[in-house]
Amino acid sequence: MIIFFALKNLLHNVQAVISTRIFVVAIYNPKITCLLLYAVETRSLSKVYRNGLKAVDEISIKIEEGEIFGFLGPNGAGKSTTIMILTTLLKPTSGRAFVAGFDVVTQAKKVRQNIGYVQQDSTVDEYLTGRENLELQARLNHIPKNSIKERIDDIIDLVELSDRQHDAVVTYSGGMRKRLDIAGGLLHRPKVLFLDEPTLGLDIQTRYKIWDYIRNIHKEFGMSIFLTTHYMEEADKLCDNISIIDHGKIKVTGSPKLLKNALGNEVVVFEVDSDLKLGNLLSEIKEMPLVKDVTTDGYEITIFSPSGNQVTPKIFELAGKLGVKIESITLTRPTLDDVFLSYTGRELREENDGFNRKKEREKMRRLRA
Amino acid sequence: MIFFDTYTIFWREMKRYQKSRSGILIRLIQPAIWIVVIGNTFAGTKPLIQSVGFNGSYIEFMAAGVIILTAIFTSIFGGVNTLWDRRYGFMNKALTSPISRSSIAVGKMLAISLISALQSSLILGIALALGVGIANYLMIIPIMLIVIAFSLGFSGISVVVAATAKSQETFWGVINFLGMPLFMLSPALFPLELLPHWLAFIAKLNPVTYSVLLIREMMTGTAQGFSIAIDVAVICGFVAIMVALASYVFTREVNKPF
Repeated sequence: MIIFFALKNLLHNVQAVISTRIFVVAIYNPKITCLLLYAVETRSLSKVYRNGLKAVDEISIKIEEGEIFGFLGPNGAGKSTTIMILTTLLKPTSGRAFVAGFDVVTQAKKVRQNIGYVQQDSTVDEYLTGRENLELQARLNHIPKNSIKERIDDIIDLVELSDRQHDAVVTYSGGMRKRLDIAGGLLHRPKVLFLDEPTLGLDIQTRYKIWDYIRNIHKEFGMSIFLTTHYMEEADKLCDNISIIDHGKIKVTGSPKLLKNALGNEVVVFEVDSDLKLGNLLSEIKEMPLVKDVTTDGYEITIFSPSGNQVTPKIFELAGKLGVKIESITLTRPTLDDVFLSYTGRELREENDGFNRKKEREKMRRLRA
Repeated sequence: MIFFDTYTIFWREMKRYQKSRSGILIRLIQPAIWIVVIGNTFAGTKPLIQSVGFNGSYIEFMAAGVIILTAIFTSIFGGVNTLWDRRYGFMNKALTSPISRSSIAVGKMLAISLISALQSSLILGIALALGVGIANYLMIIPIMLIVIAFSLGFSGISVVVAATAKSQETFWGVINFLGMPLFMLSPALFPLELLPHWLAFIAKLNPVTYSVLLIREMMTGTAQGFSIAIDVAVICGFVAIMVALASYVFTREVNKPF
């Protein structure tokens, strides 16, 4: 009995010592202010480019370990800049970012050891074979020599490229290249995998296939995935949580389901015959109970509501009273597209488009040289 | 680890070179024309050359110069793929992996210098086929070692320019501005002793001069201890400076947005 108590006491003491030490380390070592709680964490992260453009504005995100996180936003919203900071390619102007528990500025090398990065454009060497590309990737990521072969065999099977592994990549289709890119990002089993627009420019069949691969690798390796995309469907199908970013700021964060529900469970779209009394009708609708949000596009009015069935008859009633004829009506569920548009608006990104066009022209100019 | 990383990049560059076979022969055409055309055009300068103590024909005199010409241009152009790598994302892939930045620069330089030595050895072969004599065939090995060292230094210039330049035009502009004068301001085509003093003075500041002199002396078998030591010291100093400078500039430049 006495021995038991002594042991228990001892154990208790050891625990106390350990926890105090962690506590002390956390306080006195400024490098370890983040204790591996999140796969990715940013605190008021900002990036201002030399031309004064504030690409990322005080963003704070937290991604749990094992989570698939979607980062959505229109062109030029700040997605690429954020991903470049998180992958240590750019230094933030202010704020901090931690990836796999390491600071991207002061512990860049540690971060690089723990991440995989699959870029938007294919980065495989065209004249090398698929397998040689993976060998290069393995060496770049310091995979022990004796396990390189086995790892490549496994991964190349997973992305179904075994039969073409000895062909030069120049003969691969776009989808095959993307699969090879993803395989390369996975080879060293990173804790956090960054996928930048993984299905951009691929056909529907390939896109579905890539989604399958992403789900499979996530199931098999359980790493956290940071995914940027333009395709709402992609985010909806794959992500546990998403953030919508626009003009460098996070507009909203949450699970796709939560964000859709926030708009109401249902969407009522109806078309009217003229826009003469539309203004009156709109303001009346906005006043109605059970209406969360209303948007218009020409003669088309979209209403978000938790209960479309109850709202619809009331709209007919209202329209009759105001003398507006309703031509058609549809009842659907909100999609992530609706969520996206309600946070980022419908207008095109003129200034950013102009900026991109200029950049593209410069790229072309360089290419022609 | 840094050696392993450097070797990784070297391995990749060599693989790429291996797969671009067509380029190998095309790049040989120009120096071959130099030997045949310039070598015969100035054949009449033999008495002038012999007056400063070179026993042999003009083509034998300028063979060392053309070997270095090949090395200069192969290595100074070699860094251009740094620009492509940055444009097409390979660079970002390497930069987000745990390998060090300097090993990317040095790996590229080593690959360029080996490629340069391969090209130069083919030119040496052409020269020998055209009847240029070599005192001792065993000398080919140290000659090639010198070409590798020399090219390592010159590839440093290329990598520095490529890392700093944001576009192909800038790169080619600067490289052409540097390459030709460095070749011209050396005894590659004409003996230093016959140049005007001020030109000879400038040529003596040029690392190309020491490499040409050393290779020429090794080919004719007239190399002497003291002058070899000076030449080798100059080349080694040049290489050390360029490796350090290229690693530094490259590491600084890749941290900026492209």
